[in-house]
Amino acid sequence: MNILIPHTWLLEHLETEATPMEIQKYLSLSGPSIERIYQTEGESVYDIEVTTNRVDSMNMRGIAREAAVILNQAGIKTTLKPLRINDQDSLQLTKALPLPKIFNNSEFNKRTIFIVLKNIKRAATPSWMAKRLVQTEMNIHDAAIDITNYVTHDVGHPIHAFDYDKLMNTGGEIHIVEAKKGEKFATLDGEEFETVGGEIVFKNSEGQIIDLPSIKGTANTSIDESTQNVLLLAESIRADKVRFASMTHAIRTTAAQLMEKNIDPHLAKTTILKAVELYQDLCGAEVGSDLYDDFSGESQPIEISISIQKINDYLGLEIDQQEIIKILTDLECEVETQGKGGTAELVVTPPTFRPDLTISVDVVEEVARIYGYHNLPSKLMDTPIPTTYPKNIDFNLENKIKHFLANIGWQEIYSYSLVSEKVALESNYKIMQHLKLQNPLTDDRVYLRRSLLPSLEEIIDTNSQQKKLSVFEIANIYPPQNSDHLPDEKMVLSLVSTKEYRLVRGMLESLLNQLFITNHEIIDHKKTTKPFSQSAEILVEKNIIGTIGVLESGKIGVEIAFTKLLEMTNTHPTYQPIPKSMPIIEDLTFTLPKEIAVGEVITTLKNTDKLITAVELKDIYKKNYTFTINFHDLKRNLSASDIEPIRKSIVKQIEKQHQAKLVGEV
Amino acid sequence: MTKDTKSLSQLKQAIDNLKQQFDAEAKDDVSSLQNKYLGKKGLTNDLMKGMKDVPKEMRPTAGQLLNELKENLQHQLELLAEKKPLKNTHKIDLTMPGIKLKIGHTHPVSQAMEEIAHIFERIGFTRVRYPEVDWDYYVFESLNMPPSHPARDEWETFFVDTPQHDQMGKMVLTTHTSNGQVREMERLKSKPPIRMINIARCYRRQQDATHTQMFHQFEGLVVDKGINIQHLKGTLDHFAEQFYGPGTKSRIRPFHFQFTEPSFEVDFSCHICHGTGKRGKEKCKFCKSGWHEVGGAGMVHPNVLKAGGIDPEEYTGFAFGWGIERTYTLKEGLNIDDIRLIYSGDLRFLEQF
Repeated sequence: MNILIPHTWLLEHLETEATPMEIQKYLSLSGPSIERIYQTEGESVYDIEVTTNRVDSMNMRGIAREAAVILNQAGIKTTLKPLRINDQDSLQLTKALPLPKIFNNSEFNKRTIFIVLKNIKRAATPSWMAKRLVQTEMNIHDAAIDITNYVTHDVGHPIHAFDYDKLMNTGGEIHIVEAKKGEKFATLDGEEFETVGGEIVFKNSEGQIIDLPSIKGTANTSIDESTQNVLLLAESIRADKVRFASMTHAIRTTAAQLMEKNIDPHLAKTTILKAVELYQDLCGAEVGSDLYDDFSGESQPIEISISIQKINDYLGLEIDQQEIIKILTDLECEVETQGKGGTAELVVTPPTFRPDLTISVDVVEEVARIYGYHNLPSKLMDTPIPTTYPKNIDFNLENKIKHFLANIGWQEIYSYSLVSEKVALESNYKIMQHLKLQNPLTDDRVYLRRSLLPSLEEIIDTNSQQKKLSVFEIANIYPPQNSDHLPDEKMVLSLVSTKEYRLVRGMLESLLNQLFITNHEIIDHKKTTKPFSQSAEILVEKNIIGTIGVLESGKIGVEIAFTKLLEMTNTHPTYQPIPKSMPIIEDLTFTLPKEIAVGEVITTLKNTDKLITAVELKDIYKKNYTFTINFHDLKRNLSASDIEPIRKSIVKQIEKQHQAKLVGEV
Repeated sequence: MTKDTKSLSQLKQAIDNLKQQFDAEAKDDVSSLQNKYLGKKGLTNDLMKGMKDVPKEMRPTAGQLLNELKENLQHQLELLAEKKPLKNTHKIDLTMPGIKLKIGHTHPVSQAMEEIAHIFERIGFTRVRYPEVDWDYYVFESLNMPPSHPARDEWETFFVDTPQHDQMGKMVLTTHTSNGQVREMERLKSKPPIRMINIARCYRRQQDATHTQMFHQFEGLVVDKGINIQHLKGTLDHFAEQFYGPGTKSRIRPFHFQFTEPSFEVDFSCHICHGTGKRGKEKCKFCKSGWHEVGGAGMVHPNVLKAGGIDPEEYTGFAFGWGIERTYTLKEGLNIDDIRLIYSGDLRFLEQF
């Protein structure tokens, strides 16, 4: 969470010689990060990112406290000024006005503290306060309202100003309870809500909601123009309950964002007292009641033991024990030393506003950051290098495939693993066979996909300016397993192209050759499955590794299981001795009847004789198919007379098996 | 043997003779061979004239034989020409534009991943991959995230609509690559040394100019005896120099993560203003005061080591992780201002890589 801290306001808590630039530099290195310095109303205003565990620093006092320690460590003389607030004894407490009765549930609320202020004179927010509100981007109303926001920013605990008379008129009782489902309430700006159940609310004796504590006041009890008496209240609702209600109803007030991070309830009293002082000064208010304070949920301070050795181990160097103790005491921890020298132990009790410090490494962090990470050397590990590599993963193979495909004209795509219902259904699976998100953000990202092909088709369609397009992706698909198991995440290689089938198939075959997968076959499916309208299996040594075919849109698609590719691939070929003899290469042209699969003809050609070492389809003219046939005996040169009987047998076989006639004669 | 077949076999014989003659003369000048065998008044054409002696019904076969001969000779002449190139008789206009082959491109995320993996592999890291859809246990619980942590609620994390697992909790889409931490400890049977680099797809429930629902992260994890903050700094400096170029600095500043303690924010110095935060008299608009916040890091939380079966009293470790997209888009001169482009599938974007 980011917080705006005006330099002059900070100086109310801090005496320092540091310039704004120095404050930015050193705080960012050792504490909260000052991301920018704005100039607002003629002064520097720090824009500070405070991490969620450091809600103690989400106010002026907290930043001043950090700055004092950090700047001193950096050698810039700085002191934290004491917080000057009238203590409880100097308030003229009275029993003039009755207090509401509280029905607390300590499971939900650690502390309830409040006081009544009477005879509030409504006055404009004074210019000094207005300026600070502008600098910190808060709205300006009038003093009676703005004081609550101001003190929260100054000291840190949200407080709420009730209209005392409205509150007492609803029955004078506050029940701190969990809301049921379907209860209605309107926030102070008039917006109406209905509970979902489980929100912590204040209710009156009749069960009406009279406040959404730690988040926002409700209209029926908040101050308005006619308010004369105010009940100032701070409570300490459990953080997760605050976040739940605030997120559910999207009421993200500053109060909610602070309270959902476990603010120290000890700050509640300081904040109330500071506010009382301002109401007296700016609104002429008088104290009209006792100070009610039920802090039954106060937790015990914890002690953390840590050895000096451990701190030094984490930093990789030796820091003087006294320096460590000084850093921790500057951070308002109590430190007790046990033992001496290398085995010395520290027992550290953090201040109540640091609930984030619970274990020894938390203490390491405090010492290390104040010492300064930037003061530590930088070096690489000199420990052993692990050599146990994961099985069934080959990143080099993935990269090789990606580069090869890219180099022969394919564009790699990263598409979303989450798809719409429509795209999910374009795969071969029913919607029930997909894993579905419980809480999708948008309609187009709901199901975990089972095929990449529909996603790639979508991408080609959105790039309609490109006439011929070939794209591929290597990514996971997510077939569900039974509910005790994660999906069987499987990596697939998918290709989609608007080029013609023979080109796509040829490139796929080149890829397989590149991976030294030589014995592949492509066998036509008799049945086809979505998203294909026609498909064939890609086999390597009788194992199906994937599918190639025509997609319903007419594009050509390929999907290959990556694990199969991994099993079949080789790092190197088996070298074939370079033959001493020359092949005889001949073209033969056959007229093929309709419905004859060319692939089968080629298989027949190849199987006719062992001297036939290669057959390629050279040309197609109408029904005439010309094949280039290599005849090759690796041991000797063949002569025309060797070929003649083979040629005859080819013609015979082709005619017999495929009813195809040779063009010309042998 | 009939007269007809005799004339065909004579032709075949003549063809064979011609081939042999050609083989014998194949060392001569290619262009003169071309004329002698395949020219208008060449030997092949002479044979063609003999066609009239062949009976009509045999002529197609004879024609085919002669065509084959022509092709054969032509082919051999081409082979010879390759060995003895013809003299460069006509000049080529060397100013003519080249004809480019259409090539494709690997995706910028792949390019970044490959580069990142390589940088870490050089200093002994092992690249791994773990599930993208994983149990709450690995994504949150074992990483010391309390059940009430905001990251675990439905506003930031995608949950899969399946029943909860008794021990492992809900099924979630990984919000970070840190699910690999305990998984890597388990893979190595809780026995350091560990030097892991895990690169994977991640998912978060957010979408704007700097966030996409899906993105990629890489995660480093080092566990051994005596690992300290200095080693993390050394590793980050190595990466910064290798990925962004010599002179790039890294720095760590206090931050907060549940699964590391201490935790750090990692910054790299800005290459536009060279870490000064200024361009001339103006503020550098590209960075925050000379630095880019890139990701998170920290010393592995003792509870995480324990979850991975490693004794935190004996071993320490560091981890770091951040988004590939952001890391990549900070490269000098790249100028990508909207990371949604990366997953748009727009070829006008992708073809530039």
